[in-house]
Amino acid sequence: MYIIIIGGGRVGYYLGKALLDEGHEILIIEKNAAFCNIITEEMGSVCICGDGCEAATLEEVGTGRADMLVAVTGDDEDNLVACQVAKYKFKVPRTIARIRNPQNEHIFKTLGIDVTVSATNIILEVIEKEVPTHPLTHLLTLSDKDMEIVEVRIPPKAVTIGKSIKDLSIPAGSKLALIIPKDHNPHLPTPRTILREGDQIVVLTTPETEKNLRTALTGI
Amino acid sequence: MEFNKILVPITGTKVDEEAMRLACRLTKKEKGKIWSVYVVTIKRSLPLDAEIASDIQKAEEVLDHIEMIAEEEGCEIETDILQAREAGPSIIDEAVERGIDVILMGVSYKKRFGQFSLGDVAPYVLKNSVCPVILYHQ
Amino acid sequence: MKVLIMGCGRVGAQLAGLLDAESYKVTVLDISASSFRRLEPTFGGTALVGNGIDEEMLRRAGIEETDIFVALTQGDNRNVMAAQIAKHIFKVPRVICRIYDPLRQELYDTLGLEAFSPTTIFAQLVKEKIES
Repeated sequence: MYIIIIGGGRVGYYLGKALLDEGHEILIIEKNAAFCNIITEEMGSVCICGDGCEAATLEEVGTGRADMLVAVTGDDEDNLVACQVAKYKFKVPRTIARIRNPQNEHIFKTLGIDVTVSATNIILEVIEKEVPTHPLTHLLTLSDKDMEIVEVRIPPKAVTIGKSIKDLSIPAGSKLALIIPKDHNPHLPTPRTILREGDQIVVLTTPETEKNLRTALTGI
Repeated sequence: MEFNKILVPITGTKVDEEAMRLACRLTKKEKGKIWSVYVVTIKRSLPLDAEIASDIQKAEEVLDHIEMIAEEEGCEIETDILQAREAGPSIIDEAVERGIDVILMGVSYKKRFGQFSLGDVAPYVLKNSVCPVILYHQ
Repeated sequence: MKVLIMGCGRVGAQLAGLLDAESYKVTVLDISASSFRRLEPTFGGTALVGNGIDEEMLRRAGIEETDIFVALTQGDNRNVMAAQIAKHIFKVPRVICRIYDPLRQELYDTLGLEAFSPTTIFAQLVKEKIES
């Protein structure tokens, strides 16, 4: 595959090296001439000095035949524009943008970027999985339906312990799918099911109602 | 001063011929050999293995001519067309691969933006070569 | 009419002053407080320090009730991103965006942004001066 990387900083540099090792044809576009020299000295003729958001530069490097464009500069707005120019002017089939502000994820999706990668979100996901006290864990995102499957764990001393599900204000968009008690077999929740400490509840929900769901189930 | 293996990159300009005659003088009699290469540079808008008939034809003509000159001078010569994104690195690679003793390049007087310029290739070769380099400036 | 101007440079400040004098409700957003020195002392609108490509900040600047959004920072890409957030996320009725690079301006124009390039306009203007 021919992959164009916008931004030759640390992310672009190591990404370029890894993709070269996998046998892809790559090209890095970097503004800073000193960074360009380092890349060229270490990896050969795979870097040009220029602005990856400029249509003229992208034309020169043959973006029209690229299979993928990955924008990994440190600025979200630059990554957005590089991907949009690649997608809408040069019809690049896949565009990937690095984002710094995790809020920008849905903005980029709305604006047509295929994939976004946010270090903040990745670290957050790891923390959710690694730290058991965090009451809500994302299991799966169903991006085409705007829904997600999450797991909520009932922490010790939660105000909801001992209450039945019908007495909790579960948000309308959320469906409780399964309850996994600490010492029993998993069972399907009914309105009369009573919550116990340590229950793990698998729920189908939407990103918007996720916070309300957590509050309803745990009081937190 | 005489060398066993000389690499002469050429570009199809007038200086090629004089550079080649000089290379022949510097080659050891009997066992010396000259490699001459023409680098076809491929724009990024095309894949590296694209075949550009017009460029290749020109390269062949230029190399045929240079081969004739070497033979006139009584030198053993091998020619090759290289295809690359940039000429500089591919000349260096070729020199390393063949275990070349000296690179001999012809450069002609050029102006860029109103000032004298050696271009990109000669400075790259001077900076990165692992063997001696001779520039023949016409 | 409520106008939100992002970028309080020479153009942004002057535009803010002009609109303020004509009874628009103007809010100016800039990343640096020192830019607001360019506003006239009589300016009666709101000046806010903040990042115009941050959704939260735009919300705080009142983008949800804004009728017109104008992106006038020095960075083409910032303008493009902010304008698209205004148009596609907050559905601001009128969004105007400055893009210096003529090629990018052309592209975003075809993508539905009301974008103009000072580069093209000024070069044309000078040419007309020469010819007149």
